[in-house]
Amino acid sequence: MRNTVKITSGTLRRMATRIWRGLREWCGDSAYETYLRSKGTQSASCPTLTPSEFYVEQLNRRYSKPNRCC
Amino acid sequence: MKRLFSIVAWVVIAALGAGALGSIALHRGEPLNATWFVVAAVCCYLVAYRLYSAFVAAKVLALDDTRATPSERHDDGRDFVPTNKWVLFGHHFAAIAGPGPLVGPTLAAQFGYLPGTLWLIAGAAFAGCVQDFVILFCSIRRDGKSVGQMAREEVSERGGFIAQLAVLAIMTILLAVIGLVVVNALKSSPWATFTLAMTIPIALLLGLYLRFVRPGRVLEASVMGVALVLFVVVAGQWVADSASWSRVFTLSGVALAFAIIAYGFAASALPVWLLLAPRDYLSAFIKAGAIFSLAAGILIVRPQVLMPPLTRFVDGTGPVFAGKIFPFCFITIACGAISGFHSLISSGTTPKMILHESHARFIGYGAMLLESFVGVMAMVAACAMPPGVYFAINSPPSVVGSAGDAAATTISGWGYPLQAQTMTDLAHKVGEITLWNRAGGAPSLAVGMAQIFSSTIGGERLLSIWYHFAIMFEALFILTVLDAGTRVGRFMVQDLGGRVWKPFGRMRWMPGVLLSSAIIVALWGYFLYQGVVDPLGGINSLWPLFGISNQLLAAVALVVATTILMKMGRLRWIWVTLLPMAWLVIITMTASYQKIFDSNPRIGFLAYANALAAQIAAGKIPDEKIGETHRLIFNQRLDAAVTGVLAAMILVLIVEALVHWYSILIRRKESVLHESPYVATRWAPDYSGAAHGDD
Repeated sequence: MRNTVKITSGTLRRMATRIWRGLREWCGDSAYETYLRSKGTQSASCPTLTPSEFYVEQLNRRYSKPNRCC
Repeated sequence: MKRLFSIVAWVVIAALGAGALGSIALHRGEPLNATWFVVAAVCCYLVAYRLYSAFVAAKVLALDDTRATPSERHDDGRDFVPTNKWVLFGHHFAAIAGPGPLVGPTLAAQFGYLPGTLWLIAGAAFAGCVQDFVILFCSIRRDGKSVGQMAREEVSERGGFIAQLAVLAIMTILLAVIGLVVVNALKSSPWATFTLAMTIPIALLLGLYLRFVRPGRVLEASVMGVALVLFVVVAGQWVADSASWSRVFTLSGVALAFAIIAYGFAASALPVWLLLAPRDYLSAFIKAGAIFSLAAGILIVRPQVLMPPLTRFVDGTGPVFAGKIFPFCFITIACGAISGFHSLISSGTTPKMILHESHARFIGYGAMLLESFVGVMAMVAACAMPPGVYFAINSPPSVVGSAGDAAATTISGWGYPLQAQTMTDLAHKVGEITLWNRAGGAPSLAVGMAQIFSSTIGGERLLSIWYHFAIMFEALFILTVLDAGTRVGRFMVQDLGGRVWKPFGRMRWMPGVLLSSAIIVALWGYFLYQGVVDPLGGINSLWPLFGISNQLLAAVALVVATTILMKMGRLRWIWVTLLPMAWLVIITMTASYQKIFDSNPRIGFLAYANALAAQIAAGKIPDEKIGETHRLIFNQRLDAAVTGVLAAMILVLIVEALVHWYSILIRRKESVLHESPYVATRWAPDYSGAAHGDD
């Protein structure tokens, strides 16, 4: 019985973590972390952007093409 | 055993869907419960997804998960970002779901609930979802190229040019018409105007916070922003109750139009992090919250649908907009059934973030089904109010009179009983000065949503808060589309101008930025102003133009998709994209013809211009109004010319495509497919993205 409760709370915790990660990823909150982790950044010869530089650069790119529909 | 259970379950779902659909189609007499709409839509979507999208994925496109997607091959953490399929579904849905699926069905409710609902469900399953899915697939196979680039490479240079023009046309008309929806929602409403005006300083505050205090911390900034927005919704009531402040925020249609034009210019010219992006974050959260709340509200309240299945206005004499059910129902509801604009999203960010080809089915086809469901909910919300009230809110004064007993008598005479006092009481309950003649769809949708929300929480006491929450939600994300669209339009103008004079194309050259922003704002601003001063209500002329331009873009996308399928050797399956394309061409050409040449002045632009000219000639127009009437005549002729150009573009594109297809079929031209070369994936088939525990 105790085991079952343990498994359930573990599953719930994992599920909550996934939802939290998904929400952060969806709204762009974790974009800088994703950028640092990406293969392109790790192998690039140019210097890594700071959080502020990355934020502005990312917005300028995103809003230069249609990204919101009718 | 498992297989048998699955078959039985799908048979039950299909039977339930058919039964519910039959009920809403054949029901007569007593009002129908909205639950039938939800059951019919959900069951049809499930069956369409399970069977038709699986068929398209397996037979037509032959999705290949052994092939590396652009996000794997070019992973740079910026454009090409491998993204979990649920997160990408959310991204894609947030990008495609704009005001269209809310406003279109609300306007089309004038035909009754049935035509719009059937078109929303069938159009999405067989046309809209297919377009989004196939274009997403094509773009994945081409490193995320846009539909314009694909048209140029796979069809012809001219096809690509038409796609570019179609994007600029749709952008201009879309921005004007959604601006008009906002004007009609805020006109003479100090509460709503104050609430929306306050979202600008809130967005600026968030912009500064995200830029200088906690760069990129979108979640915490959005939570603060949403809390502030909800506060100003409530505070709007204090403004409306104050005699002096109420005067400041009570604006006419023309004043609001100029305010929106100034806002569009500022959002386009200012740095994107300051105003545009933080407003978009706010809008995304409020949009998601409001849509899920509306779905939950409909399921909990299960309102009665009071609108009949078909109204007398199927004959084309509708007060909201003129024109028969065919083709105008299919033009009015574009987003929610099929929207060409989606092809820009499906060939924009999404293909660069997808993990496996097979996810294209869930994201491309599935997200469009969800948008269609939003359209069905909007239809339910509009049809849940008494038809008399619906027509009183959505009819322009030139059709029913400006207010009061005479208008109520006109509407009652159509067979939809209404008393003037009902409108006075309703306006008082929702905290508005008046609800008469508020065409555009937003106020009637807000009344419908407020009635559903207040039946769940707060009762009549909170009706006014819910109404203004709904208006704020609609206006907020309409303005997000407006400012993002203006900025993209500015880039297009700079791109075109840069070909003539290079400095103009430099994105950081301030005179170029200001001039290009002014040009794009002037383009849509002119149509917006024209809509605001149009005696027929503006929506009557601008919404069909928007529908035609949107369907034109969908036709471009489907021509590209059909050409690619042909080149891939899937000739026996090209009907999957060819039939929706043919249908779009038929409805677009018919609507264009009627909008230009119909002899009824409420439908045909030229007939209206001629009628006005005849009135001037007969001396029926007072001297002081002659200048204004000449401008109106010019506007009608301009609308006719724009419609003619859009129709001509469709014809040129179709002829171009037919010649190209014929050359391929008789092997006069070599069928060259411009796909990226095959690279085998290194990811496991169940890899779901680094951020999701697989790292």
